Amino acid sequence: MELSRRQLLRNGLYGAAGLAVGGGAAACGTSSTSGSGGGVPASMTLWYWSGGLSDKVVADATKKFTQTKLKSSVIGGDFKQKLQTTMASGKYVPDITGIKGEDIASLLPNADKFIDLNTLGADKLASQFLDWKWKQGSTKDGKLIGFPIDIGPTALFYRPDLFQKAGLPTDPDKVAAALSTWDDYFQAGVEIKKALPKAFLVNNTGSVFGQAVGQAPERFIDAGGKFIGDQAHIRNAWELAVKTVALGIDAKINDNSWNAAIGNGTLATEIGAAWHALDIEQAAPELKGSWRVAAGPGGAANNGGSFLALPRQCADPQLAFEIVTWILNPANQARGFTDDALFPSMPAAYTLPALTAADPYFGGQSTIDVFGPAAKAIPVQYQAPADSAVSTPYFNELTNVETGKSPDTAWSDAVSQAKQVFQQQAG
Amino acid sequence: MTLTRTGAVRRAPGRDAGAPVRRPRGRLRRGASFWPQYAAVSPFYLIFLGFMLIPVAFSLYLAFTSWDGVGAIRFVGLRQFRFLIHDPTFWLALRNTLAIWVLGTVPMLCMALVLAGLLNSVRRFKAFYRVALFIPSVTSLVAVALFFGAVFSNSFGLVNVILQHLHLGTVAWMSDPWTIKLVIALLMTWQWTGYNAIIYLAGMQAIPKELYEAATIDGAGAVRAFFSITVPLLRPIILFTVIVSTVTGLQSFTEPQVLFGSSASVNPNSGGPGQAGLTLILYFYHQAFDNNDFGYGAAIAWAAFLVVMLFALVNWRLMARRER
Amino acid sequence: MSERTTAVTAKRLRGLTVHGVLTLAVLVSVFPFFWTVVMATNTTHDIYRDPPRLTFGSQLLVNIRHVLDNVDFFGSMGNTFLVATGTTVLVLFFDSLAAFAFAKYQFPGRRALFGLLLLTFMLPMQLALIPEFEIMVKLGWVGDLRALVIPSAANAFGIFWLRQYISGAVPDELLDAARLDGCGFFRQYRYVALPIIKPGMAFLGIYTFVGAWNDYIWPLIVLVNPEHVTLQVALAQLNTAHSTDYSMVMAGALLALVPVVTVFALFARNFMSGAIDGAVRG
Repeated sequence: MELSRRQLLRNGLYGAAGLAVGGGAAACGTSSTSGSGGGVPASMTLWYWSGGLSDKVVADATKKFTQTKLKSSVIGGDFKQKLQTTMASGKYVPDITGIKGEDIASLLPNADKFIDLNTLGADKLASQFLDWKWKQGSTKDGKLIGFPIDIGPTALFYRPDLFQKAGLPTDPDKVAAALSTWDDYFQAGVEIKKALPKAFLVNNTGSVFGQAVGQAPERFIDAGGKFIGDQAHIRNAWELAVKTVALGIDAKINDNSWNAAIGNGTLATEIGAAWHALDIEQAAPELKGSWRVAAGPGGAANNGGSFLALPRQCADPQLAFEIVTWILNPANQARGFTDDALFPSMPAAYTLPALTAADPYFGGQSTIDVFGPAAKAIPVQYQAPADSAVSTPYFNELTNVETGKSPDTAWSDAVSQAKQVFQQQAG
Repeated sequence: MTLTRTGAVRRAPGRDAGAPVRRPRGRLRRGASFWPQYAAVSPFYLIFLGFMLIPVAFSLYLAFTSWDGVGAIRFVGLRQFRFLIHDPTFWLALRNTLAIWVLGTVPMLCMALVLAGLLNSVRRFKAFYRVALFIPSVTSLVAVALFFGAVFSNSFGLVNVILQHLHLGTVAWMSDPWTIKLVIALLMTWQWTGYNAIIYLAGMQAIPKELYEAATIDGAGAVRAFFSITVPLLRPIILFTVIVSTVTGLQSFTEPQVLFGSSASVNPNSGGPGQAGLTLILYFYHQAFDNNDFGYGAAIAWAAFLVVMLFALVNWRLMARRER
Repeated sequence: MSERTTAVTAKRLRGLTVHGVLTLAVLVSVFPFFWTVVMATNTTHDIYRDPPRLTFGSQLLVNIRHVLDNVDFFGSMGNTFLVATGTTVLVLFFDSLAAFAFAKYQFPGRRALFGLLLLTFMLPMQLALIPEFEIMVKLGWVGDLRALVIPSAANAFGIFWLRQYISGAVPDELLDAARLDGCGFFRQYRYVALPIIKPGMAFLGIYTFVGAWNDYIWPLIVLVNPEHVTLQVALAQLNTAHSTDYSMVMAGALLALVPVVTVFALFARNFMSGAIDGAVRG
């Protein structure tokens, strides 16, 4: 597109020049019209993040629902920020969007920006899903905003070969029994360090803290809206996290080098949810067969697990809901597990062959044996909308402890900052 | 009717170096009809008004409100600023920004000056050096940040590998608060040294050769000549680069955002471990677009602007001591 | 005799040192490109190895293919080109007009308006981000390339630069002669000033083009449609969505760097002479 100065001068254009440039460019880009008009829309968009849904299942959905052209976008970067900015602008809002588990709580207060899926018949399906997950996607007054995709039952991923070198048991059941408490787990970390000086037990303090908080009955804000981030259950999680630094079993990895660390044996264990298996597999495909899964220390917790939602601007809610329920039917949820380690939110899927099959990456282990019981033992926790924002200071201060700050000072700083954030968010 | 010019007149030696206003054109008062001039400057000012001035005024208003971008805008007076003053993260961001700016700007300008002096003294390869040194400033900051992130990575970065082979031990570049700032500062330095060097070089070419010849006759060496002749005569240009570097350096955003941005849900845009890379503008972005706290974000942005103004002014005073 | 040889040797030594330092500076400037190429032509695994490979591999096409699979790279490059070109054209046109008026004419309010210009220079664009986003929403320009081009047309630096340049480069005698021939303001601009200030315009044009090409934060916010972004945003998306495939990300970075560096290298001479002319007149 060339606009020579001569042309412009001749026509004496000023703003028209801008319009000329913009006119051509504006022809690109799609937007689904808001409100469901008469017929089925020509195209619909689905937003998710890498690994949020199985790409193959999404591709099949595109092939199956030929009434409309289903376009899927894998969004990189800060998904929640992108979604919110787009929804605020009212343009290019996706018809179906994923919502991450850690973000759903903060989006529920804006429930009017989404369609209540119960009005589309979701309530009839409620019994097929885990109760606490269904509640997590619903508002207090019973509107269903988020349709469950997967859940994140946590377990311990470990390297049996490194365990053997450290004189630890290698069989999953034995490992679960030996490392059932956090102290036992840390002790194992010390043993590993003695045998393999370059290996660490945990990747950073934040992961320990997050897991321990997830195992507690409450989080940072109680159901009545009061700040409880300074109480014993949080303090306990904090103490566990900083202990790893004191014991020298913390690898202090907070960036992309995690991928390399997984591959070269710097990390002997990982505590994570079922979907974390995908991260490990992608980081170290050459370590196929070298990892196993066992029940983790301190009991089960939920970490992550996402939802699909329909923004208010969805062009055809009925069709969109059909697509959503198809993508998330038991068979496809099982495929999600096989393809992207997405642990189904539908108990009906747990007995499907895809779930009970041996996983070659984990040396032929049937990981459902670990994740299944874990999923059932997940404690129900209330998550306030401000939970994510309030928890940030703790994670920041934990990285400070990793670089030498006194744990006690860091704790009081974290709590006071968290209180400030709480007041700011609540105000 | 086309008038052409030969090259002769253009070669005007650098008189009036640094004079702020050009020779006035009194004789061009043709009646009182200046509409062409107003028409000429109006496009800029119209766009500036619509897309800069009005938004800035609105953001000033926002700094006194509480708004999440979707709901209603509530006026809350000075509450955002009071929160700001007591917000340790804000002060941390301020300290980070200043540290990074000092680390990134001061050595950079000195090196640029030295490089320009060297460039001025060579005869061969001049064009090649100029182009090669200028290229960093036209590269995409995103790509460069990615590159620096890879090279300074704790575990597989090139720098640590070299250090290891030299038996100097590794440095946790991306985890230690000071090395994080250093990496960001190095990024800024790498990108802008050549650019400033070329600007200085251009200024040096305006200095008459006779001054140098006179100095040599008086027995001054190259270094002495540099400090006694070149630097003082470059003062207006140095001032210009200092102001520009101050303004851009204190607004650093892309470097820490790309270096430490990730799809990590817990702490996006936090500036890395210990928030050591959290600059003022990154903090603004985080509050406004991650926490949806537009009111507080606006307050941070205005505080950042005041800081920039203050330092630009201070630099101006320091450097323009003598009458220009 | 020996005195002279010592002097000559000293001079030669000094010359060598100077060239040595400059070469070192050039190496530092250019090394990142070399290293990006190395990373882009190897596999991720090679990069993670200890020690990492230092030579070129053969994976470039593979990595590029992965890049193209994951983001619409050429689409975003096209968008960026549109934006950069549009911005450059507008800036050159508006700024040269305004600079000409400021440089060669006295009109009421000139000083005040110019002072306002100085102020705009200090204003960080981030201040305006949120409200500007709201304006874009109202205008319906969200996700549209117009949101990038139009606001950028107000570029204070360009007016500064050209004003200085025009003051020194365009002789008043020529303007007087044109006026006597009956040329008004716009004709003087078009037939007298424009031909003379070509080098200065070249500099400003390239500077603006490059700046628009590399712009990151505003496109990041306003281009909400993920299918329709600029190169920098696409690159950042590539990094965060698929950060495990590092060699692919580096291949993307390489693709993003090549056009600008090529354009710049091609026009370097015009650029330099324009820059130097401008500075000389300052």
